[in-house]
Amino acid sequence: MKRLNDLEYLKLNRLQAFLYKLKLFFCAIPGFFKGIGLAILNFFKNCGLAIKNEFKDIFTTFTKGNWAVKLSFFIFGFGNLYYGQIMRGLLFLLFEVVFIGYMLLPSGGIYWLSKGNWFQTGATVGTVQGGFQYDPIFDVDYWVGGDDSVKVLLYGLLTIIFIIAFIYTWRLQVKQCRICMDITAKGKRVRSGKDDLKSLLDDQFHKTLLALPITGILVFTVLPIIYMVLIAFTSYDAAHDGYANLFSWVGLENFNEMFNFGKGGLGLAFGEILSWTLMWAFFATFTNYFLGMFVAIMINKKGIKIKKFWRTVLVMTIAVPQFVSLLYVSKLFDSSGIIGKLLINWNLLPQSMVDANQMSLWQNPLTARILVIVINIWVGIPHIMLMATGILMNIPQDLYESSRIDGANTIQQYTKITLPYMMFVMGPYLLTSFVNNLNNFNVIYLLTNNSPLLNTQIGSAGGVSVSHTDLLITWLYKMTLNSAETKYYLASIIGILVFVVVAVLSLIVYNVIPSTKNEEDYR
Amino acid sequence: MNNYQLKKRLRKSGLGAKASRRIGNTAVYIVLILITVIWLFPLFGLVLESFRVEATSQQSYLWPKKFGWDNYVRLFTKTDFPIWFKNTAIMGIATAVLQTFFVLCMSYVLSRLRFKGRKGLMNIMLILGMFPGFLTMILIYKVFSDLGLTMQNAPIGLIIVYCASSGMGYYVSKGFFDTIPKSLDEAARVDGATRWQVFYKVIMPLSKPIIIYTVLMGFMNPWGDFMMASYIIHENSAGMNVAVGVYEWLSKTMVNSNYTMFCAAGVVVAVPVTAVFLMLQKYYVEGVTGGAVKG
Amino acid sequence: MASVKLTNVKKIYGKDVVAVNDFNLDIADKEFIVFVGPSGCGKSTTLRMIAGLEDISEGTVEIDGVVVNDLQPRDRDIAMVFQNYALYPHLTVFENMAFSLRLKKVPQDEVYERVVNAAEILGITEYLTRKPRALSGGQRQRVAIGRAMVRDSKVFLMDEPLSNLDAKLRNQMRAEIILLRQKINTTFIYVTHDQTEAMTLGDRIVIMKDGLIQQVGTPTEVFDMPVNLFVAEFIGAPKMNTFKTNLVCENGKYYVTPYGAKIEVTGKKAEMLKERNISSQEIILGVRPEHLTLAEKNDPAAIPCTVKVNEMMGSELHLHVYEDNGDKLIVRVPTVSLDDEQRKEMVFGSTIHVTFESKVMHFFDAETERNLLV
Repeated sequence: MKRLNDLEYLKLNRLQAFLYKLKLFFCAIPGFFKGIGLAILNFFKNCGLAIKNEFKDIFTTFTKGNWAVKLSFFIFGFGNLYYGQIMRGLLFLLFEVVFIGYMLLPSGGIYWLSKGNWFQTGATVGTVQGGFQYDPIFDVDYWVGGDDSVKVLLYGLLTIIFIIAFIYTWRLQVKQCRICMDITAKGKRVRSGKDDLKSLLDDQFHKTLLALPITGILVFTVLPIIYMVLIAFTSYDAAHDGYANLFSWVGLENFNEMFNFGKGGLGLAFGEILSWTLMWAFFATFTNYFLGMFVAIMINKKGIKIKKFWRTVLVMTIAVPQFVSLLYVSKLFDSSGIIGKLLINWNLLPQSMVDANQMSLWQNPLTARILVIVINIWVGIPHIMLMATGILMNIPQDLYESSRIDGANTIQQYTKITLPYMMFVMGPYLLTSFVNNLNNFNVIYLLTNNSPLLNTQIGSAGGVSVSHTDLLITWLYKMTLNSAETKYYLASIIGILVFVVVAVLSLIVYNVIPSTKNEEDYR
Repeated sequence: MNNYQLKKRLRKSGLGAKASRRIGNTAVYIVLILITVIWLFPLFGLVLESFRVEATSQQSYLWPKKFGWDNYVRLFTKTDFPIWFKNTAIMGIATAVLQTFFVLCMSYVLSRLRFKGRKGLMNIMLILGMFPGFLTMILIYKVFSDLGLTMQNAPIGLIIVYCASSGMGYYVSKGFFDTIPKSLDEAARVDGATRWQVFYKVIMPLSKPIIIYTVLMGFMNPWGDFMMASYIIHENSAGMNVAVGVYEWLSKTMVNSNYTMFCAAGVVVAVPVTAVFLMLQKYYVEGVTGGAVKG
Repeated sequence: MASVKLTNVKKIYGKDVVAVNDFNLDIADKEFIVFVGPSGCGKSTTLRMIAGLEDISEGTVEIDGVVVNDLQPRDRDIAMVFQNYALYPHLTVFENMAFSLRLKKVPQDEVYERVVNAAEILGITEYLTRKPRALSGGQRQRVAIGRAMVRDSKVFLMDEPLSNLDAKLRNQMRAEIILLRQKINTTFIYVTHDQTEAMTLGDRIVIMKDGLIQQVGTPTEVFDMPVNLFVAEFIGAPKMNTFKTNLVCENGKYYVTPYGAKIEVTGKKAEMLKERNISSQEIILGVRPEHLTLAEKNDPAAIPCTVKVNEMMGSELHLHVYEDNGDKLIVRVPTVSLDDEQRKEMVFGSTIHVTFESKVMHFFDAETERNLLV
């Protein structure tokens, strides 16, 4: 399509401009995907190039290096030791020794790796199935331990990570060797161990500060997530817990189960829950956003007194732990709670609900959904109010003065300046808030107490009872509670799906809202 | 504009302006009072019902017929609540300290130091953050139960869970650090400070609001957490935090005998936490607004 | 296109903080008037009262013969440029400039025409679709002016519009405002603290101090005939040199005696002194730095002083010289008039002699600091 230049574009009236933008947007979609495709292609291309260069470099290092460098291809840190970097050299050497030892130990890396049957559909994770054996002497069945699939998978994964680390370290020390050689050839001094330690507080200070947090993240987030992604391709559930019964690799079968919309499949339940999750996140985010902003504007209105009091009232509800306030409010609306009773006694419940014997708002799908959104307003407004107050105070006063001269009245000032300004500043926050609401466990779980249940056809989604207000995250939670219905592989798939939803959303938003792009913009 | 029109406008905007402002303000006051009532009603009701003596179940009226400390006495003598409270308090303090340390390290580095791989690190954490955090609990639970960090030892396990990955929640404090002018670092470095000295001699003293905010968030976390806690605790009363412990009392079979006691427990938990929070409110507000605006 | 009249305008904050006191001024149609004064003198407050952004405590403001005290800013038909530009950050340049027109529901074709016209005059056509954040300071300034321009209003108010720009840009924009003024023929009221801007831009200048008007006049008037010491020192750069000295009347002849020198007052100034029958008294004598000239050592009218600072400005030399008792004088010497020899002499510590003619003298009462000749 024809692109207009700036002046031509500005000539359009609002409707035309809107249509033009819409057209542009749709025309950009193929380009967008092409761009993503190209980016991925480029990424692989660059990776390939980098690997090629790396190999080239390794090769030249080997051919051009002196004997010490050559030896360090086999003995870690030898070059460092040779050039006087005792500390680094010893650490490298220690790493190699530990690695080789670990791999070769009887129940070491090779042992665990070989037990994994990695990704062979149908094969079990672990090779020896435990079982009862009869002991004729004591006349009892006793348990003979076999492999534990959970452990096999975990140690296998750890071993793979270890191997990757080994290759990386090997490359690192070879590179360092070569650098040492070059430096010495130029007649300069190489860095000593003391220099290294000192630089940890200066040039390399980020390494010092990051060491602990990153380790924590690697161990408690990255590793479990990779592990759980692997679980999605296995049959890990209560019946196959890996110990009493080995679980096995199943390929993509679990995904088939999830997206099977026929009988026995989870597709319908998944669709229902996903659509409600998105609906919920949308309403929860935007009702809070607009109402919270509205409250902030009211409190900050000129001439309103005891501003601090109004603010503190709202802040109180942030301070009270959620389980207290949410559980209490949930009970208020219960059929025996104060408000719930009131509704019954004054005949405020719709006749259709009474007919269906739904005696509280929690028991009807529609009213329950509306109620969680309303109560979430109660929970969320204080947060937004605080934030909006901060932004309101930051809006330069002369914008309002200027607009007054330009002829705006109070309402126009709100719609043309306050609101767009807030949107402008809080754009990134809206995304975060939306994602948080997608995963808002507390409000849903503590409020609704698992009612009203979905109808039984799709209600027993994956063996757990699911209610009309369940989000993906509460579904995931129920799926993992230790019971006979536990299905870890489904939990894992739900987790992956949540990730996909959030990722797609973020990708779109990041491309639409410019202010999220550049972190330095706000400096 | 002719004179007639002008006079008309004068009348409209002269006296009218003040009167309409007064009407507007009155309307705002009415809405604000309404909001106050709605927002305080549950808290008020909680306190009132915790003093109810005549019944332990839910009633259709709010005002107790007889006031007394019965529920509180029962709470502290007949239940495990003191243990839960102690557990939660320990977790709160430990999490506050450790989490603050992790978050500050992370956010400081990402905000003020420039090094190779910084962007990549941030992107990876962004992507990791898109997975529901609870997903990691399945493996962690398995490992922890082997290590003996679940059930009655759950508080220790939970502290690790809360803190270990807390570096990923660096956004708010990074936003704060971003607002401290970079020239301050540069001045200190020119004056001969190492990066470590810049960190603890220049930036940390300036960061009181965000440190307090992070401590506050860390402290509040264990009090409100139900999901992770219930999973790790696995129904062992000795290791429970208050949220998980008290939740049971509201189940269908127990609610009638425990409802008012739940209210009492709620009050006991809410009072100290709210007091701390309101005291440090100023810093919370600074953290929330600063972080949001920066994104 | 309108006249503006302020009558006894007063601004009181709280109970007794008087920001503007008894302000009377007639601004003619199409006049360019500049309010100038040090910060806190009430010039901005006065402007904001005209704009309607501040309530008027007492007195009246008339635009085109209509009292506007109780009118909202939007009903006063004015345009204003703010010191910090006050551009709406969420709108593009075009939308910023079209803001007021769109509020008035002007049809799109006309909005387009007026905005693009203004943009062409200001040279910002290529930035029309950008957001203010993506513009430099000078460009933002132009947008702010453009936003005021498209409105075709009766009065054009500018509140220190150049003070956020660097020196070079400021000079450039100043020239552009002069050009702009010729293109849009309307009444301008311009607030600044910079006397150069005031002198170069204004048809008339209003000099204020502590909420009071000190003098109203054309640039020449306020430069040549400052009513008091404050105006004399405020207008002109570097500022006027002042000597506490005596005016001596001997045999119908007037002399001034700064630092031991004895200089006769002759010509028109002497006549004026005589006319006003001024007797011998203590005075403050003012002489602008550019009016001090180098003198021979043995000239009785020569004042000896020591060079402390030597500022070479290119076309002229600024010498900060000190009297024996520590008083500081500034002398502006055009470099063309100096030969190399002389230039070498004027270094730190050397002694030079200066003098001045009677026509450049300003006489101020030692106590009231009022100009004796006005």
